[in-house]
Amino acid sequence: MTLARPTRATTARAPRRAPADLPFVFADRGLAQALAAERDEPAWLRQERLAAFAAFDSLPVESNQLYTPYIDLRAADLFAVRPYIRTASASASSPDALAVAVPAGTSGLIELDEDGVSLIGLSEAARARGVVLETFGSALARDTAAFRAELEGGALLLASDKLAMLTRAFWSQGVRLVIPDGVALDEPFVLRWAAGASDRALLTRTFVRLGKGAKVALVEDLGPSRRPAAASAIGGQSLFAGTLEIHLAADAELRVASIQDFGPTQIVLQHRQAAIGAGANLHWALAQLGGRLVRSRVDNRLDGDRSSVEQVEIVFGANDQLFDLTSYTRHVGRDTTGNLLSKGVLIDAARTYMKGMITIDKTAVGTDSFLGEFGMNLSKKTRSVAIPSLEIDQPDCRRAAHSSSVGPIDETQLFYLESRGIPPDEARKFIVLGFLEPVVARVPLDDERERLRGLLEAKWNAGLEGAAAA
Amino acid sequence: MTATREIVTDRREEFAFHDDIVYLAETKRGLTRETVEEISGFKKEPDWMLQFRLRAYEHFVQRAMPTWTDGLDRIDFDKIVYYRKPSDREEKSWDDVPDQIKATFERLGIPEAERKFLAGVGAQYDSEVVYHSVKEELTKIGVVFMGTDQALIEYPDIVKKYIGTIVPPEDNKFAALNSAVWSGGSFVYVPKGVEVPLPLQAYFRINGENTGQFERTLIVVEEGAKVHYIEGCTAPIYATDSLHAAVVEVVALPGSKVRYTTIQNWSNDVYNLVTKRAHAYANSTVEWIDANTGSRKTVKYPSIYLRGENATADIISVAVAGKGQHQDTGAKAIHLAPNTKSRIVSKSVSKDGGRATYRGQLKVSPGATNVVASVRCDALMLDDISRSDTYPYIDIQEDDTTMTHEATVGKISAEQVFYLMSRGLTENEAQNLIVQGFLEVFTKELPMEYAIEFNRLVKLEMEGSLG
Repeated sequence: MTLARPTRATTARAPRRAPADLPFVFADRGLAQALAAERDEPAWLRQERLAAFAAFDSLPVESNQLYTPYIDLRAADLFAVRPYIRTASASASSPDALAVAVPAGTSGLIELDEDGVSLIGLSEAARARGVVLETFGSALARDTAAFRAELEGGALLLASDKLAMLTRAFWSQGVRLVIPDGVALDEPFVLRWAAGASDRALLTRTFVRLGKGAKVALVEDLGPSRRPAAASAIGGQSLFAGTLEIHLAADAELRVASIQDFGPTQIVLQHRQAAIGAGANLHWALAQLGGRLVRSRVDNRLDGDRSSVEQVEIVFGANDQLFDLTSYTRHVGRDTTGNLLSKGVLIDAARTYMKGMITIDKTAVGTDSFLGEFGMNLSKKTRSVAIPSLEIDQPDCRRAAHSSSVGPIDETQLFYLESRGIPPDEARKFIVLGFLEPVVARVPLDDERERLRGLLEAKWNAGLEGAAAA
Repeated sequence: MTATREIVTDRREEFAFHDDIVYLAETKRGLTRETVEEISGFKKEPDWMLQFRLRAYEHFVQRAMPTWTDGLDRIDFDKIVYYRKPSDREEKSWDDVPDQIKATFERLGIPEAERKFLAGVGAQYDSEVVYHSVKEELTKIGVVFMGTDQALIEYPDIVKKYIGTIVPPEDNKFAALNSAVWSGGSFVYVPKGVEVPLPLQAYFRINGENTGQFERTLIVVEEGAKVHYIEGCTAPIYATDSLHAAVVEVVALPGSKVRYTTIQNWSNDVYNLVTKRAHAYANSTVEWIDANTGSRKTVKYPSIYLRGENATADIISVAVAGKGQHQDTGAKAIHLAPNTKSRIVSKSVSKDGGRATYRGQLKVSPGATNVVASVRCDALMLDDISRSDTYPYIDIQEDDTTMTHEATVGKISAEQVFYLMSRGLTENEAQNLIVQGFLEVFTKELPMEYAIEFNRLVKLEMEGSLG
């Protein structure tokens, strides 16, 4: 562990960097003020940013001592990255712009490239039912008081999490989706974000609120920027720091599918927070494929009685990718259900840290909670770390359990497929893609589902070629 | 250096005693470099051991207190007496043991145990081995079983070769503390190919308010040899906190088999902070059978480093956390060689506001191919004022490891209690039976006498909670 890795050729002898250090230079008080000034933000929002900066500045990257031995951010080289400051494309969110035709099969669409909005629109049905899809800029202009009530004090972003506070202080773009009470739409909303310009830091916030009994689906599509600067692999890394806050009122239901396929020089910091009301259901299907280093955190708070969360997350890591994924689920209400499943396939020298924590509060009588973390290490240099933890104050549970396994491809499955005449390479591919299928099957949009399948298969094929060449 | 202690007669629990002892030698309260030198001086140790202690002391002073588990900051190191010698010399036979100490041991059942089938007895009363007998046949086959202090005099080469190699003083703050002030503990040496036919047994006791107990146990098992070592602990109840910081080092050389059984029942004012580690060489088997029912706080994760091919690790860890207790226990299996196997089974019971924490590590290092490993943790919570935590760390760095892990937390099923009550058991008896059944994976590994004693401890615990 003490071996120095000669990956960063710096001119002067760089100071020794601890694995949990994440140095960058842009995040200071001046930037918080500059962002507020550039946008002509009201005093309360400026204070928001400054308070968040103060918290960011005082916190360690990992505040949970259970996990401090398993954090390694040294692959992130963010000295050069600069954030976006200018006001981004506020005009694109004008009411007229919302009238653009959205692709068939969707209820709404917002496309952003770096911090600029390239497309935003709602289906007729969504508009008719009073759905709001807008940028933070237009929300602020349209109804400052309501926006303030929603955001002030950090909303769901945890004051104890440094990276959540980073985004709260320095966001330059935000997306807001509000579904009124009782609105149910079968066709999903699509949130597409492209990033990856060299030496750029993109900090974003997404805010989703579902009213009572509302029922919708959201596809989050995170991929490489189409801007020319990002196309060339030359240049420094880029940073994407994104937060997603979800409020589900009583009996609401939200399905979120996320496909993350950023480029190989992208550092990704994700923080997702959900507050789940009585009888509400949240379903996560998260696919992590891209990025150089991904650090993600999902927090589910089952506040309401009979609320539930289902979270399925897959990772397909190759080369020297590192995925550092933490999931916290807190049972507060009575008779709540948590079903969490993480699966990782690793080739080359990829690494995953899967950290999960289920907390069952004293109030959470009748909890049913399961956490599973499963890994497939397919080459010798891979590393899988699983830390599925439980903290339980209420024993009156229907179920409180976790399980975990790491193993190679099952020889008996391979033998079975080969005995049916499937060549060994094909059989291995079937087994691996089948292992990851639970997330693919949960993507609510046909095109996106096929795209994810294609991405996984392409990555598998590339890995095979790499192995053949080696 | 001689002090007379006040009389304290608190006998609230069957295993809680205190006797009035005239301590013939003890250090002043608190720990300084001089204390360490003084202890080494009392024992007339060779210079290398003094240097070992001083190196450890320096590390102890510099090392920060761990913060990943809570409550350790309540330990006041300045209040503790680090060395106390209750009688002047190592006793040769039972008859020579002072009557008062003997009476205490008799309540613990040592003579009966010896009369039956136990091979040897080493009993630690405070900080020195006062009674020690090894059956003649053991001596004949070359097995050494004595206090570690005595071993330092009689077998300095073996002690020097291994002490601090399995658990270096720099390993953690409490290993450093133990290395600086250690006293007593057992030394076991089993020569090549020798199978010790009967379990070796040592009773450890703490007596005396604020007496630190820092035993150092070293077990060296040569190639192809086999041994089972058992320790059990009881201690009196006092209002202020005692500290027990032991280090146990086990060397299992190629082809050997070692089983180490612990029943820990410190009184509920003791901080029990123990580092237990074994190195398992090729084709060897190491088993930790570890139960923790007493203490205010126990921090203990018996560890096995699988260093040689085909080595096997088996750890059974049991904890019962009652009122005011925190059992922070678990196990570690570190696979460093190909074809090694490990199994960890943990069972915990928490009740009356107690907290049971499983904390463990399973690691497969690069190069450790074809590893098979499993971790199973089950927790039983008897009421909703108690707490149960599970923190398993699983770190796999090979591509052909087969690892499975499962954990469950639950309460006693009302159906089971109802069924047993319909057969004429009281509710308390029914719950007691269910808890004993839950812990059976542990008790069935014990020699019969210990199984009976352990079940009695569980029963006492259960009655205390419900009566």
